[in-house]
Amino acid sequence: MTDIEFLAVHGLAVRKAAGPAAVADLLGLNEEEVTAALEAAAGKGLVAGARGTYMVAPDGQTMLAAQYPIVFAAAREDGALTAAYERFEKVNTGLLALFTDWQTVPTGSTRIPNDHEDKDYDNGIIDRLGDLHERAERVVGRCAEAQPRLTRYLERLESAYDRVLAGEIDWVSGVRIDSYHTVWFELHEDLLRMLGRTRQE
Amino acid sequence: MSESRVICLEGTQLPPRELIGGKAWSIGRMLSLGLRVPPAFVLPVSECSKYHEGGAVLEDEVWTGVLEGIAYLETMTGRRFGDPEAPLLVSVRSGAAISMPGMMDTVLNLGVTDGVEVGLANLTGNAEYALDTHARFCHQYGDVVLKADLETYSGGMSAEEIRAEVLTDTDEEIPRDPFQQLSGAICAVFNSWDSPRAKAYRRHWNMNEVGGTAVTVQAMVFGNLGDRSGTGVLFTRNPLSGDPKPYGEWLPGGQGDDVVGGTHAVQDMVTLESAMPDVHEELLVWANILEREHGEVQDIEFTVQEGRLYLLQTRSAKRSPQAAIRIAVDLASEGAITAEEAVARVTPEQVRTVLLPKLDPVHSEKHLTASGEPACPGVACGIGVIDPDEAERRTAEGESIVLVRPNTSPNDVHGMIAAVAVVTELGGSTSHAAVVTRALGRPSVVGVGEGVAQSLAGKLLTVDGEGGRVYLGEMPMIETGISDDLWLTQFAKWAQDYAPIDVVESDPGGVLDLDAAGFGVGIEGNTIDFAGLASILVGAQCVRGSLLSTPAGMKAALDAGISRVVARPVLPLQVLAVRVAREK
Repeated sequence: MTDIEFLAVHGLAVRKAAGPAAVADLLGLNEEEVTAALEAAAGKGLVAGARGTYMVAPDGQTMLAAQYPIVFAAAREDGALTAAYERFEKVNTGLLALFTDWQTVPTGSTRIPNDHEDKDYDNGIIDRLGDLHERAERVVGRCAEAQPRLTRYLERLESAYDRVLAGEIDWVSGVRIDSYHTVWFELHEDLLRMLGRTRQE
Repeated sequence: MSESRVICLEGTQLPPRELIGGKAWSIGRMLSLGLRVPPAFVLPVSECSKYHEGGAVLEDEVWTGVLEGIAYLETMTGRRFGDPEAPLLVSVRSGAAISMPGMMDTVLNLGVTDGVEVGLANLTGNAEYALDTHARFCHQYGDVVLKADLETYSGGMSAEEIRAEVLTDTDEEIPRDPFQQLSGAICAVFNSWDSPRAKAYRRHWNMNEVGGTAVTVQAMVFGNLGDRSGTGVLFTRNPLSGDPKPYGEWLPGGQGDDVVGGTHAVQDMVTLESAMPDVHEELLVWANILEREHGEVQDIEFTVQEGRLYLLQTRSAKRSPQAAIRIAVDLASEGAITAEEAVARVTPEQVRTVLLPKLDPVHSEKHLTASGEPACPGVACGIGVIDPDEAERRTAEGESIVLVRPNTSPNDVHGMIAAVAVVTELGGSTSHAAVVTRALGRPSVVGVGEGVAQSLAGKLLTVDGEGGRVYLGEMPMIETGISDDLWLTQFAKWAQDYAPIDVVESDPGGVLDLDAAGFGVGIEGNTIDFAGLASILVGAQCVRGSLLSTPAGMKAALDAGISRVVARPVLPLQVLAVRVAREK
């Protein structure tokens, strides 16, 4: 199995079900290469696909579980990367609190859904997103020094943030689009898989 | 001080909002109502462009104005800036006429020095507070003004450690001189007007004509000076029930964001009333003045310093859907607003939420099987399934599925989209699962405990996302009737009276169905051709369709002179029609 085949299956695992274009976008790789890699992986029974959309097959999940500790052995021993990951977790805590404040508004002793009628409230959160985005830039930048392909996540985060600034408020935490939360959630999953950590939520 | 480049907010006259920015204007408005607010002065918006034209330096005349402003704050408070015996601390805030992202927001506690820290410890009898205030100031100044890459503030950091970290990271020192701190913070606010983010935002919104930001400098008051001090929040009406009785939280000895931050155990207003009845009385009188002035429920932050009440901020209170209706009706009944205004104060979404069927608490209780943190409100019923692929497949086959997961990763999102509700073993109300379910509007309960998912699998479940509870079996629901509630009945009557269009549940005549005509909403990325819509609306009398639940769709119907809309329930669309007609 080639490196790119492994990466393509890994990228697909983060995205769950996707076409080659989306996997290539996530990995920051060329779409033709990823298409070829996914077809090769399909030939080996590692991924299953229909109509241009692939999913990781059970054999592929087994392969990933076996390969992660080998492929990412150096990454897991890399003190700079694991330190950056600890910082990532702190930014993650701040961002999840921000998404919650975006979706629900504290009132009295409880929270109610944010109807986005109060522009001052929303702008305050978008402002905080700007601050956290700057911290995210630094922390993902540090992760990317060890794993350059992670830079692609920064570009996607930047693009979601720009759309939020332009008033497209779905791009904060919308689910079916590459919103700030969607991209961050995938980055979190990618790091957890690379570093062999388990999710605590 | 008429020639000064700086305006002291004295309450005798209120300068225009465009000149002094939203924050200073709000302070000035409270002062002009005769309410006590910590004294403040402001560098008006016009100074921002002069600052940039002059090469990003504060001119001598402006600095003289700032010093006069500080002298004014000293006179008003009986304290002195940088004096350990009676220290004056100030906050510096930005304030454009319109709030926008990218601006430097706030620096608190300017004026802290090593000497002042000792003074604060003596004054408050609380050395820990003095240490913390000093460290917080250094952290905020380093983070916000000098843009150092610092960890989020947590207790236990010392001012000197933070100073050293900031110096290493930025090659700049946090000033030890109070006046240098002040000029640094003022310049940082003006500089932030030209930050790339603020510029990008103004470009996006064509706000280039907005001239700049003001800088507000305000004395800080202390809620921790002895046992006649504290801080709190007061709602002029209960924001959850709408009950017209004021509702609040009070933290004796609390300072700053202690109440809002939710990190301290707060007490209710009865404690304040029994400890300081005169202050409590004054607060209620002032709250009433603010509510009448704004014609709207207020959420008021206040501090009591040695028995003297100060208002820090007031704004319209957020409220539950139930409270929104009751408050709007009450305000109109009291003559504070018109009945039509009352209808427009409530959103169609709030009306829809109020009309949703509710669980019967008495019947449900004995079927409770799991409970956790409420993550997204709503009630839904389905079969518990652990595997997201199975959830997706069985939903496609027409079943109602509740996805029950140990935790959630991006791999589960398709299952969450398919499911009618979501339950997770781990995580709290800010987990990824909570964020995703709220974005989808799926009722969800998180953190029900390890091992619970397995026990729920395969069973018929009812999930109450508001109460954070999971019940075994399908629980009966109670329909909400408009006549069940006095306020809702009145509200519905006004909505019908003032709606500029008839909304009916059915119509025997010809109804133009906009969904069937290709003008439906609900598909992401589907853009509506409003020109085409206008042409098919010509000559129509009565229409239905999902598009009419949107402001743009309703506006098109009103513009076309449509006389009747078919929808069920009718109330949300009546409310929408009133709101849209008022905006036209």
